[in-house]
Amino acid sequence: MKPPRFEYAAPHKIDEAVGLLSQHGERAKVLAGGQSLVPLLNFRLATPEMLIDVNRVAELAYVRPLGSGVAIGAMTRQDTLERTDVVRSRLPIVAEACRLIGHLPIRHRGTIGGSLAHADPAAELPAVMMALDAELTAVRHGGRRTLPVEQFFTGVFTTALAPDELLTEIRVPGLPPRTGGAFIEIARRAGDFALVGVAAVVTLDDGGRATRARVALCGAAPAPIRAREAERVLVGARPDARALDEAAEKIAAAADPPGDIHASPAFRRKLARHVGRQAMELAVRRAGGAS
Amino acid sequence: MATTPRTWIGKDVQRLEDPRLLTGRATYTDDVKLPGMAYAAVLRSPQAHARIVRIDTSRARALPGVFAVITGDDARELSNPLPAFCAEPVVEYALAVDKVRYAGEAVAAVAAVDRYTAEDAAGLIDVEYAPLPVLTDPMEAMKPEATKVHDNLPSNLVFEKTLSFGDVAGGFASADRVIRRRLRWHRASAQPLETAGAVCSYNPASGRMDVWSNTNMINYVGWLVAGTLKVAASKLSIKPMDVGGSFGSKHVLGKVIAIAGMLARRSGRAVKFMEDRVDNLTACENLACDRIYDVELAVGADGDFKGLRIKVVDDYGAYFQFGHGTHGNALAQATGPYRIPGFEYTVQCVLTNKCQQGVFRGAGSDANNFALERLVDAAAQELGIDRVEIRRRNFIRPDAFPFKMPAGNIYDSGDYPKVLDQALTMAGWNELRKMQAEARAQGRLVGIGLATAQQRSVYGPTEFWFWYDAPGLTSVPESVGLSLGPTGEFIATMFSPFWGNSPETVVAQSVAEEFGIDPGAVTVTYEDSLHGLPSAGPGGSRMTVMLTGAVVGACRKLKEKMSRIAAHLLEAAPEDIVFGAGGASVRGVPDKAVGYDALGLKAYWFKLDLPAGMESGLEARHTYDHPYLTMPSADRKDLGAFYPMMGHGAHVPVVEVNPETGQVRILRYVAVHDVGTVVNPKSLRGQITGGITQGIGMALYEQCLYDADGQPLTASFMDYLLPTAQEVPRFEIGHVETPSPFTEYGVKGGGEGGRMIAPAALASAVEDALAPLGVTIDELPMTPERLATLVEAARARR
Amino acid sequence: MTRSISLIGLTVNGVRHELAVEPRRLLVDCLRDDLGLTGTHIGCEHGVCGTCTVLVDGASVRSCLMLAVQADGATVTTVEGLAPDGALHPLQQAFREAQGLQCGFCTPGMLMLAWELLRDHPAPSEAEIREAISANLCRCTGYQGIVDAIQLAAERHAVPAGAAR
Repeated sequence: MKPPRFEYAAPHKIDEAVGLLSQHGERAKVLAGGQSLVPLLNFRLATPEMLIDVNRVAELAYVRPLGSGVAIGAMTRQDTLERTDVVRSRLPIVAEACRLIGHLPIRHRGTIGGSLAHADPAAELPAVMMALDAELTAVRHGGRRTLPVEQFFTGVFTTALAPDELLTEIRVPGLPPRTGGAFIEIARRAGDFALVGVAAVVTLDDGGRATRARVALCGAAPAPIRAREAERVLVGARPDARALDEAAEKIAAAADPPGDIHASPAFRRKLARHVGRQAMELAVRRAGGAS
Repeated sequence: MATTPRTWIGKDVQRLEDPRLLTGRATYTDDVKLPGMAYAAVLRSPQAHARIVRIDTSRARALPGVFAVITGDDARELSNPLPAFCAEPVVEYALAVDKVRYAGEAVAAVAAVDRYTAEDAAGLIDVEYAPLPVLTDPMEAMKPEATKVHDNLPSNLVFEKTLSFGDVAGGFASADRVIRRRLRWHRASAQPLETAGAVCSYNPASGRMDVWSNTNMINYVGWLVAGTLKVAASKLSIKPMDVGGSFGSKHVLGKVIAIAGMLARRSGRAVKFMEDRVDNLTACENLACDRIYDVELAVGADGDFKGLRIKVVDDYGAYFQFGHGTHGNALAQATGPYRIPGFEYTVQCVLTNKCQQGVFRGAGSDANNFALERLVDAAAQELGIDRVEIRRRNFIRPDAFPFKMPAGNIYDSGDYPKVLDQALTMAGWNELRKMQAEARAQGRLVGIGLATAQQRSVYGPTEFWFWYDAPGLTSVPESVGLSLGPTGEFIATMFSPFWGNSPETVVAQSVAEEFGIDPGAVTVTYEDSLHGLPSAGPGGSRMTVMLTGAVVGACRKLKEKMSRIAAHLLEAAPEDIVFGAGGASVRGVPDKAVGYDALGLKAYWFKLDLPAGMESGLEARHTYDHPYLTMPSADRKDLGAFYPMMGHGAHVPVVEVNPETGQVRILRYVAVHDVGTVVNPKSLRGQITGGITQGIGMALYEQCLYDADGQPLTASFMDYLLPTAQEVPRFEIGHVETPSPFTEYGVKGGGEGGRMIAPAALASAVEDALAPLGVTIDELPMTPERLATLVEAARARR
Repeated sequence: MTRSISLIGLTVNGVRHELAVEPRRLLVDCLRDDLGLTGTHIGCEHGVCGTCTVLVDGASVRSCLMLAVQADGATVTTVEGLAPDGALHPLQQAFREAQGLQCGFCTPGMLMLAWELLRDHPAPSEAEIREAISANLCRCTGYQGIVDAIQLAAERHAVPAGAAR
């Protein structure tokens, strides 16, 4: 299983990279960590004529505090994300999710930008970014734009990125006090893609009522989705067992899962309810709420 | 039987194989590089069943760097059909001729300057197919009106027969109850981490074909491979390689050798063909049984087993290379460790449009163990008898060995109650039951499994043909050469490859035991098919028995000559010569001694110092035949002894099942094995833990799946799931040794037992976990969705 | 399409190499075929089995998922780097004593993972060991011998602890 032939360029600057993208457009694919793209090349399921390798664009790899949140360069390795203090302290759910991505050798190469741009419906980081209201910056030759994560994922392995755009930065706003987050997934084996995963982020007030809730799913639809009905159940109420049960039902209803040899749509829906219940409960507990 | 005190047999000797493996300096097939060597890639059929209308290879041939392109037409000219161990005329070529019979079947092959270019070229080959109806359901495929997978066969039901032993009708008539189960054992795949491959180099001037391949049976069926390659057997040199695991999947690698060989002839270059993982998953020889069982156990109200009926449909895929062999295998121990006076076995082998079966560790007895143990658990449950007690009650008693089971095979030795007791003690059976009760009170589904089952070893070749009327081969030997050189160094020569078992170490330990030297002083080498002695190679857990037998025989011969030389030099009688670490000496007179180096030097350089009439040199070869093989009777009511080195094991896994997600967590795993005298305890433990892990795979993760169009759905490691270190627990392994009366040192084989028993044990554990819900386990693997669905259905019933 | 070739330089086991490769050439093939370091193996070519694991700039990676051109300028360690003159490194010796191998095909990859784990976590728990080695598949051992080997190597401080990352 060897890759087909392609032209290859390894720019060192964002300008160079987007210049190449504008030149080659649909002929080209961006090579980030390679943990998803290279297998596709080896299977010859992807046959780009041109590969633009952005691993040498040093200005794309950074993690910086930004206000109370974090700005992350697209080429930040998943392992780096997991271990960086500002991520662990400000966005622990990101570190928690990273730890579930494949295995360490994969996280040494895999990047957050690559994961988002590849948009595998079962991938962890897209769902986590959905639950964190992230903003994504895309740069093209002669311009840039920022779009909210909700607009970014449009379908199976499909994003809003144009063929000549490069994802450069992910900005995640800080979380208010008394916010707890949890990412839980079910996979056949440790390190496998999730059958279903749920990212829950809940903020409580002094009285223990939820003032804000984000619940996002992976593996439960063609793209990562927010379970807004579940969020509506939680907000304004004390998230007790009855509320969590009802929210979990809403999660199952929001799911529109694919079927494959590992799980049918009905089973994924059931898993979504189960995992969603656990994730929401854990998020509430971490926010300081009584379980 | 008194235990002979031994020096090296039974010790944890560090493996001779390890240094080269640990330092990355082994030679696996893909490590072979010859001058000018070309690399092959194979184009495979996307259709599961179709006529090949037209193949256009012109664009592929024109690609720079391509040396040869061949198709089925070339295969028909350059090769003969692949070796097959069946009587039915099921013909398979290495490249599909006229029609393809499974998705993934090889249609064309390319030799090019590198694998990248070869794959480029394969992508430029145009094939036109005329699709035919696809058969994926064996029950449909066996019907007379079904489209035929092979036009020259009367039906896809390629073999069907019933064999009956003992008074089955009487047994069932006398029963108080008949326990019935329909069971499903899905096809799994051996999937060693190293795929199959071959490097072939052909010299047209001499007619000699040199082959480097991870194939087995080099000195057993090498001449059959020669027939496929259309070279004389005397001109075929198949060289044994270091092999990265086989588990039965690399016995006769006719396909990869034929593809590389044909391309070598066409291109005039050496050619390497290594399967990649997709090749291996879709088109290999390592698929295991795919069975639908209808089984019945006749029991008395007191729990006595009175009779057994096994009906099995086995989906063989598109070809029949090993025939119904895995059913012969099952007959060796079909009644398990129990006194069942008679049984009947009906098999229907069906061809479908899938990759064909090969053999995978357990070779059919794994599935039979599962079927039998499910019946035993069911009997216990239906009769209201404790699972442990019903087994104890029906065990063959320790004083009954050698025991002749109803089909005629012999169980050489055993003590099943002792193995069971040790397993229960190690597991803490009563404490486990208490823990389970507490867990159940909390609503947790904890299960304790039990399987007591056989693990036969050292197959006899009669199992390949005793289902037929005509007789077949009766040889299945293993040979070893042994020499003492002029520098006093011992060299042992093997004629079968290293598979990841520890053959070199077993050989060295045996030589060390016989001569009183250190195993590290023995060098082990290998010989190819031109210089080899008859040797069937690893498989059927035979190597430890066969190698120790061959080594002891070779040592005996060598010692005989060395004794005469030493006696001559020391002026003593040959029968008074003893051997030890330093060399040969006179018994009781240690000062009268001669070192191995002196003996060697004399033997090779000082002919006139040797006894009169003695040849120079110190070399012995011994071919050890199966130690206990007898012919089946003409009426097949007694199949003779064909798998008599009968090991046994008891497994007690403890699991917890999540009823919502269907996930199974293994909390503990206790396994006690009796494989006779243990040669190398650490090595055996590794075989057991590895085997159990494959059994865990079979029980929970592994299944080869096809859709209704015959498309393989598990064609990568993302879909065919092998357990990782986080899916398996730390195993608690115990040993009992009931030496075999028929082998050297009393050894038996223990390589397959883990995988032969674990699936049954885990099915038992999961069923026990789900017992409060009334769920029964009839199907493996127990995937999360299967279990969650069973739980949901059971809850709905309540 | 013209066939492009890249010139790359990489240091493997302390030795600098300069070679010409197609951009599509996988790092594992470059190591095995171009540099003759056949200790690193190919098992799946889609990043699941880990038999191709090497260290690139000190971090474990699947060399079947890297292009050789991506290793230009990098420092690579393969299994041959552990025992350059054939004598077993203490880590390999621990594997031998604990029987952390049978067929040896997964062993080089496991050794690379073990090296990295012990360098960064000198006293790992069994759970941590299992998590680390679950990145790679073994079909022979059932993993217990490998876990035992790494525990033994840890007890013996077989791998020098690395600088905190």
